[in-house]
Amino acid sequence: MDILKKSFKKSIWVFHLSTAACNNCDIEVLELLTPRYDVERFGIKLVGSPRHADALLVCGSVNAHAKPRLLEVYRQTPKPCLVVAFGSCGCSSGIFRDSYSIVGPVDKVLKEEDPDAKIVYIPGCPPKPEAMIEGIIKGLEAI
Amino acid sequence: MSKKKNEEVMKDLKKKLKNKIIDIVQPREKRIYIRVEPEKAPGVVEYLFSKYKCKFCTATGIDMREGIEIIYHLAKEDKNMIINVKTLVPYSNLEIDSIGKKILAFRWIEREINEMLGVKFRGHPDMRRLLLADSFPKGKYPLRKSFKHSDVTDEDYDYERSGI
Repeated sequence: MDILKKSFKKSIWVFHLSTAACNNCDIEVLELLTPRYDVERFGIKLVGSPRHADALLVCGSVNAHAKPRLLEVYRQTPKPCLVVAFGSCGCSSGIFRDSYSIVGPVDKVLKEEDPDAKIVYIPGCPPKPEAMIEGIIKGLEAI
Repeated sequence: MSKKKNEEVMKDLKKKLKNKIIDIVQPREKRIYIRVEPEKAPGVVEYLFSKYKCKFCTATGIDMREGIEIIYHLAKEDKNMIINVKTLVPYSNLEIDSIGKKILAFRWIEREINEMLGVKFRGHPDMRRLLLADSFPKGKYPLRKSFKHSDVTDEDYDYERSGI
């Protein structure tokens, strides 16, 4: 476990996945990368493939169309990986909860595939950038 | 001045569509409602679109409990008017002729009404789903009044069809 901690310490690579989000969270993620918060100084970096990622950042209330895609991306991510349920929608499906096309929040969908999935919840619509950094750090402590 | 003109349109339509429509009213200065039988609605809309030089805005479907009411919204731009052609498709026979087979602009909205409310459009060339997920169960129509969220559970979805 020590080697895991050491390797994760300054190199969290994040794959950003949008499962039927309204785009507000996605825009707020960009805020993290811009000079004001600049998470790359902590080694947190967005990558283009889930196969390179240590963490999955999942925005949006998962709908029926996105569910198989989310599970496929989760399968391709090397384990152990951290899943961040991002925003009100990711945590609880938000205001879309009783809509006809929603199959559940991120945790419900992922627990079907892998009951031991490590999930961090960052509520907010959208969450503040400080909350996002805090959430990812807390998640790392859990791994 | 404009009011006079608008009455012209009303009279003109009354004369031209006399034996095709149930009734025609003008509740406001710039709006005309035409009520039509479902068999004759496509003909009336096609006439308004191609001969009467109306522009097609959109079509909407509402569940009126005794049937699905489809409203075609057409804009008569040179007279500054909106013409609504209303037709009630009864639940006993949820079918209407497609306008999309002749006029391209009607195709997508007919697909949407088909998947959301379950009205069958006869002769539509490409009746795939437009907005709903491919895995959504067949024979369930989410915008009907009788639909409840609990009608569709996760087991009903057919993820084989979702393309992954």
